[in-house]
Amino acid sequence: MNISYKEGGLLVSLATTLGLFGWYFFEAFNGLQLAPDLPSFTKIIGLIVLLIVFESILQASIAVIFRSKVEDERDRLITRISYRNSYWIISGGVWFLLIQLILSEQFDYMSELVTPNGIFHFLLLTFLIAETTNFLTQLYHYRKGV
Amino acid sequence: MSQQKLADEIGVTRQTIIAIEKGKYSPSLEVAFKIADIFSVSVETIFEYK
Repeated sequence: MNISYKEGGLLVSLATTLGLFGWYFFEAFNGLQLAPDLPSFTKIIGLIVLLIVFESILQASIAVIFRSKVEDERDRLITRISYRNSYWIISGGVWFLLIQLILSEQFDYMSELVTPNGIFHFLLLTFLIAETTNFLTQLYHYRKGV
Repeated sequence: MSQQKLADEIGVTRQTIIAIEKGKYSPSLEVAFKIADIFSVSVETIFEYK
């Protein structure tokens, strides 16, 4: 299997992001609530620090293994496509939340989602889906072509 | 000429050369002309439009 430095880095980022945020969401939604309690400040900081530490160690390992870190026109094109897809996910999530805010105000519809807890977790989930879409789009185009 | 050497001469990665050879990537004009220049042939000899 011919994996480039970029693909290796993407797989590491995908695994780290899904692993850490998946663990967080599994814990947060364990009680099957639509709007779990907000995490403590230290928990959020700890999650971010863990993400940075894991990414740094694994990306450094990838750099040692592959050595070549040239980014060429194909890499830039694939990155542009993936960021565009991520943009649509984030836009969709934000618009969905905006509409829910109005609906909950007017018709008391899904009012649990528009509490601070619900908004925090929904936006975090939207970000996670966007990041995952970013990584998967790039991996798809590196394998299938562009 | 090896794929790596060709990639180094053009300024792209070896994976990009592999993708071009497999038809999974259409390079820019700049890269296409550089490839043709290295092999001293015209662009039409190496690339065809499908």
